[in-house]
Amino acid sequence: MVEFTLPKNSKVTKGKSWNPPAKNAEPGRWREYRLYRYDPDTGENPRVDTYWVDMSDCGPMVLDALIWIKNNIDPTLTFRRSCREGVCGSCSMNVDGTNTLACTMHAEDAKGAIAIYPLPHMPVIKDLVPDMTQFYAQHRAVEPWLKTDSPTPQKEWRQSREDREKLNGLYECIMCACCSTACPSYWWNGDRYLGPAVLLQADRWIEDSRDERTGERLDDLEDPFRLYRCHTILNCTKACPKGLNPAEAIASLKRKMVERA
Amino acid sequence: MSNELEAGRPLSPHLQIYRPMLTMMMSIAHRISGASLAVGFALLTWWLVAISMGPEAYACVAAFFGSLIGRALLLLFTWALIHHMLGGIRHLIWDTGAGFSRTSIEVLAWATITGSIVLTILVWVVGYGIMGVS
Repeated sequence: MVEFTLPKNSKVTKGKSWNPPAKNAEPGRWREYRLYRYDPDTGENPRVDTYWVDMSDCGPMVLDALIWIKNNIDPTLTFRRSCREGVCGSCSMNVDGTNTLACTMHAEDAKGAIAIYPLPHMPVIKDLVPDMTQFYAQHRAVEPWLKTDSPTPQKEWRQSREDREKLNGLYECIMCACCSTACPSYWWNGDRYLGPAVLLQADRWIEDSRDERTGERLDDLEDPFRLYRCHTILNCTKACPKGLNPAEAIASLKRKMVERA
Repeated sequence: MSNELEAGRPLSPHLQIYRPMLTMMMSIAHRISGASLAVGFALLTWWLVAISMGPEAYACVAAFFGSLIGRALLLLFTWALIHHMLGGIRHLIWDTGAGFSRTSIEVLAWATITGSIVLTILVWVVGYGIMGVS
C-alpha cells in the first residue's frame, strides 16, 4: 500500500550531539555524521544522533568513519560489515540520500554533514541493521539454482563462451538490496512485488543456457505484481554499487514474456 | 523470532530521506500528466457537447476558453498531453531493451522535458498563427 508517511512508532526524533569539536578546532579536521539510531530495548522512537569524526585519524571511506565512531565514541552503534571491499554486501545503507555500500563510498563524495539511515522502508532491528527476512525469502522463491531434467553429465555442465558471456552483468550481484530498497514500487508493494534484486537474479537463471526450466521460471513471474509492478523508475540502476543494471534485466524479462507468447 | 518483536519494529525512513533524482521525478511527472489528461479530456468533451447544443451554449464555452484561466488550462492540457506522449515514447524505447545505460537514462529524461516544452510552445505559436486571433 502506498503510505507516504511513517507509522507513529517510526517517526524520527532529534537525538543528541556526542562530541562537538572545540570552537578553536583545526578547520576541516572534524567531519560531521548524522546517524539513525534505534534501540529495541528502550522501545523509544528512532532518533538521529550527531557525531564528529577526526579525519586525521580515520580512513577515507564511510565505513571507516562508522568503525571510528564505534571504536572511539559510542560502542553501542550497530551496523553490519564484513569484507570492507564491496564483495559481501553487508554494509549496504542509505548514505547521503542514496543507497550504497558504506565500504566503497568515499566520504569526500558527499558534501557537508553525512546523513546515514538504514536501507529504506525496511523493519529496523537496531540502528543501521534492517530485517532482511522477506528479501531473502523472495530470493528463495525464484529458486536461484541450476534446474535440469537431462541426466547429470560425467564432468561439468558445458557452456559455450558466448552463452557464458550472457551472464555478465547478472552474476556479479551481491544481494546487498541497495536496488530493491531504493525502489518506490518495492516500498509500496514489497509484499507482492519481487523487486529489482530478485528479478535480476531470476533473469540470471532464465538467461543461463544450462538451465532447462526457463518456461516454468517465466510462468512463475507472469503476475501483475511479481514482475509487472516495475514501472521503470530507475532508482535501482542509479543505486547499484556494483554498476549493474537491474532495470535493464527486468526489461529483458518483460521482453522474453512477449517473445514466447 | 516472535511476531510480537516484529510488530514493534519501526519502519526505516524512505521518501522522507531519499534524494530526489531526475529519473524518479520523471516517473511521477508521467503519472501526474497522465491523470491530468482526464481533466483535459473532460474539458474537450464539454466543448464538443456545447457545439452540438447550438450557438448559445457554444458562446458560453468559447468565452470560458477565451478567458485567462481558460487559456491557462488549455496551455497546461497541451503540455500534459505532449509530455505524456513523449514519456510514452521513452517507455516504448525501453520496451525494446534500449536506452538503459546510465548516460542514456539521463539523456532521455532531459529530451522528454525539453521536447515537451518546445513542442508545447510550437503548438501554441502555430495555433495563434493560423487562427490569427489574439
